[in-house]
Amino acid sequence: MKTISELTDFYYKTLYPVLQELEEDRKALKQRVISFASVYIIAVALIALSIYKYVDIDMLFFMGVFALAGFGWLYRFLVSDYTSDFKQRVIAPLIHEIDENLDYLPELHVPVANFNRSKLFTSRPDRVSGNDYVRGKIDGIDIAFSDFHAEKRHKDSKGRESWTTIFQGLFIISDFHKTFHGETVILPDYAQSTFGDLIGSWLQTNNFSRKQLVKMDSPEFEKAFVVYGTDQVEARYILTHTLMQKLLNYKKRSKHPLYVSFIRGKIYMAIEYNDDMFEPAVFRSLLNYKIAMQYLATLHLAIGIVEELKLNQKLWSKK
Amino acid sequence: MSTPLIILIVLAIILVLMYNSLVAKKNQVENIFASVDTQLKKRYDLIPNLVASVSKYMDHEKSLLEEVTKLRSEANRPNISDKQKMNLDAKITKALGSIMIAVENYPDLKANENVMHLQRSLNEVEEQIAAARRAYNQAVTDYNNALEMIPTNIMASMMGYKEKDVFEITEDERKNVNVGELFSK
Repeated sequence: MKTISELTDFYYKTLYPVLQELEEDRKALKQRVISFASVYIIAVALIALSIYKYVDIDMLFFMGVFALAGFGWLYRFLVSDYTSDFKQRVIAPLIHEIDENLDYLPELHVPVANFNRSKLFTSRPDRVSGNDYVRGKIDGIDIAFSDFHAEKRHKDSKGRESWTTIFQGLFIISDFHKTFHGETVILPDYAQSTFGDLIGSWLQTNNFSRKQLVKMDSPEFEKAFVVYGTDQVEARYILTHTLMQKLLNYKKRSKHPLYVSFIRGKIYMAIEYNDDMFEPAVFRSLLNYKIAMQYLATLHLAIGIVEELKLNQKLWSKK
Repeated sequence: MSTPLIILIVLAIILVLMYNSLVAKKNQVENIFASVDTQLKKRYDLIPNLVASVSKYMDHEKSLLEEVTKLRSEANRPNISDKQKMNLDAKITKALGSIMIAVENYPDLKANENVMHLQRSLNEVEEQIAAARRAYNQAVTDYNNALEMIPTNIMASMMGYKEKDVFEITEDERKNVNVGELFSK
């Protein structure tokens, strides 16, 4: 696989003319958004001023929220052409540069069935969204990932609806080349880091929404993660010391909460970002090195999983 | 309900919970030892095939092959203690490791499909044994902790529970040298 610096070279050298063109578009778009926002704010303020005497404060608040949502929708509409242009002309070539066997489908996301099958989160989502679906084979290993946002609907006693996020970030699925039958789930260790070892591990042992607690023989790994599984031996068969170390390295590098599960021959990974990735910035230059590095680092991290976890190590009898 | 009765009931519940947790820990140790056994049996089954496939090539390592065969027949004897089993297992692991390294010196052998398949199977069994050993050690640690810690130690001594030994892991294994890496060199 290409290194980050090779990809950065590609980004700046090969894509430079495209980036320059897009940068011009971005500047024009930024101007358009600012003018539009000014007109919109003035219009909303005028409407509010003319009606505030006739409506109560609740109504005014409601209209304010409505106006804000309206602006959000219009903003997305304004930038949609530019966004899709950016994805087709910058992100797609970058993905192909990493490996030409990868397909990039900017409008789609990982199927929700995969998300549910991963058992990484105990609640099932009522609404999912996402984009930037990448799928294909790297070194003969199936891999797929995308931005993913899963939400749960709640209703209060008055019947008002609200939504909470179950997960938002990068969701990755890949083949795992060891035969296993049970389920092993690795989650960030919040209990022990919040309540200390004694109470934390008691809480983990008595987590009824999960399978058996599997204590791992690596203090560093135990500090960062908690493991639940259907089979004590199998969990350790999957999580060798090498793999534990790799997951720790991976977590350190991504600096985001990491969830991993091994179910039905697959590895599922969820990296929490609370952000929509691969979206072009409108108010910052495309030629800004930091922004480019963010795209590249995220892509590299997602695809690097195959290499990092040595999933293509065909040592196992599994064909 | 009178206070002494409540205290008595609470005490009884605590005692039952302690008793059950000790039994559960002991059974967990036995249960996982059984899976170590299963994996070891799988390895014993592979050894004759391995010896048969490599013996005609390996002139200089004859003693190694004989050693493995001898250890295997010892391990298959009935009524050997858990401790003896652990010792034999450690010796077999070492001897097999040496055979696998020796295979590297025989290019024909290394390329042989049959041997490659055996290597893959052995590698997998080795990983499974390592996993079962780690699981066993964790179960024994939990069990031994309960035997030493207050207040479960009092009940454990009344129940006649004795501390159990863990599998000794060699320094090599601690470093987790992947046998696979030796093959793929």
